[in-house]
Amino acid sequence: MNRRAFLLGSSGLAACRRDRRPRLNVLNWSDYVADETIPDFVTEFGVRVRYATYESAEEMLAKVLSGNSGWDVVFPPNYFIQPMRENELLAPLDHALLPNLDHLEGEFRHPPWDPELSWSAPYMWGATGIAFNRSLQPAPDTWASLWAPRTAGRITMLDDPAEVIGASLKKLGLSVNATDARELDLARREALRQKPLVRAYLNAEVRDQLVAGDVLAAQLWATTAQQAIAGADDLAFVFPREGFPRYCDNAVILRESDRRDLAHSFLNYLLRPEVAAAVVTATQTATANAAAQHALDAEVRDNPALYPPPEILEKAEWFLPLPAGAQRLRDRIWTEIKAA
Amino acid sequence: MGRLRTLFLAPAAAWMLALMAAPTAIVCAYSLLTRGTYGGLGAPWTLENYRRLADPLYLSLLAHSFYIAGAATLICLALGFPLALFISRAGPRKHLYLSLVILPFWTSFLVRTYAWMFLLRDTGLVNTVLQTAGLIREPLPLLYNDGAVILGLVYGYLPFMALPIFATLERLDPHVVEASADLGARPLATVMRVVLPLARPGIVAGAVLVFIPCLGAYLTPDLLGGGKSAMIGNLIQNQFTNARDWPFGSAVSLALMAIVMALLYAGLRREGEKLL
Repeated sequence: MNRRAFLLGSSGLAACRRDRRPRLNVLNWSDYVADETIPDFVTEFGVRVRYATYESAEEMLAKVLSGNSGWDVVFPPNYFIQPMRENELLAPLDHALLPNLDHLEGEFRHPPWDPELSWSAPYMWGATGIAFNRSLQPAPDTWASLWAPRTAGRITMLDDPAEVIGASLKKLGLSVNATDARELDLARREALRQKPLVRAYLNAEVRDQLVAGDVLAAQLWATTAQQAIAGADDLAFVFPREGFPRYCDNAVILRESDRRDLAHSFLNYLLRPEVAAAVVTATQTATANAAAQHALDAEVRDNPALYPPPEILEKAEWFLPLPAGAQRLRDRIWTEIKAA
Repeated sequence: MGRLRTLFLAPAAAWMLALMAAPTAIVCAYSLLTRGTYGGLGAPWTLENYRRLADPLYLSLLAHSFYIAGAATLICLALGFPLALFISRAGPRKHLYLSLVILPFWTSFLVRTYAWMFLLRDTGLVNTVLQTAGLIREPLPLLYNDGAVILGLVYGYLPFMALPIFATLERLDPHVVEASADLGARPLATVMRVVLPLARPGIVAGAVLVFIPCLGAYLTPDLLGGGKSAMIGNLIQNQFTNARDWPFGSAVSLALMAIVMALLYAGLRREGEKLL
């Protein structure tokens, strides 16, 4: 070994020695933890965390699909659990390492997408409804009201095929998860009929325009709506009477992870009531953690937009994974809506 | 000499091979595969993805993209040619004007497009000023239509039209213009019958540089069009994200590339010699 190689090698070794703590790699939705969530975990467990975020579930899936993405923990929505299992991307959960699973609310201990929580730990959930300006009277309370001529050019729909087609299906009294070609064709017609009345297909960007009053009603996720309502008294949110879609994001450990013990510690940490409660307060999102719920301020806990009463919640429908044929059909319908 | 030439060519050739040819080959391979149930790729090999392109829906999307890109290119030409002519005749201030043309590149295109959203929306600057001045009562629908998309594209790509035209105008022999005037042509006639034909190579280069990126635009139609006037770029983006249909997305990308190359070939075969 010559001197140069020795020096290069030794400085490399020194760099390693500086930080031999294990590193957990966490890929999460943006705005989905409190400011102190990750730093507190780092301090308490004496580890490092590489934390990055994504804006859409598809983006996350595209990253981890290869099976050597370098991530340990990700947060897929409920309708991605089965596909990710079938692609052998998930590691089984060891419940002995996750005592805090007991804090989960009843319906999330045996959710339809993973009845024994063998692969996923429910984290937070959300639903889609209508954010609207209180000056709009009578106030909208159905998806059908987004087809009314009175708000032509002053409403927006989400820029998301499952949501726009889902709202059209619900308006027709059908399931948001419809796969039948005839039912989807009816939804396609509804959406095309609505398009001339729609100002734009927007996601979170619509918040500003709701606050400014440009937009009077918007199809929106409860969480996103909550962030707009916090800045404006004249805004409100409603879950449509025809029913509405619901989704739940879950913490999972990837099969490729070689730090599964640490990943379990992280999941168990997120399930602590006080940690989960801080996340809820920071993100204005509904938690699956019953114990956290009790730790919340009454104002957050009793917010009907985040935690609707049972009679409303029973009209919600979980988004499901769809077969390939239906996905392709829905994509063609979506292209047709966007191109019309 | 020969070895030196090879040596000089090697870095660029390696770069193009690794970062251009190889990815394109991968896209080619993807376009012949089948989409897995939940995204991902798999056998069997198939031409199905190309067959799907014949769907009138996708053809109308392509036609719409041509319309938007064509309109943006024409407006860029109408604005870019006088601008280039002005700068080429600006004397010592030429460099100042040139740097002003390039100035917007200091900020990301995304940020500048967002700025346009703030200008154009109902409670934006333009509508507020017009309303305060009493010129309009209701805000004008400036955002979320084809006009807004074309405006955003013209704004973004105008320098790509103005700069090549400027380059040809600057090399233009001033004596030719003088001769035209001496022979009794009015200024406008000189511009139309002498300067414009001589600037042709720059105009062709500018049109190519504007039209091609506009044809594949997806950010501008999404942000300024509000997702209501989708272009072919949005279709491709959607296949790689929401639809998780990479094979079809690859096929659409390659089809778009083929169309662009056919157009370039047809257009530049006539102009090629003058450009070089």
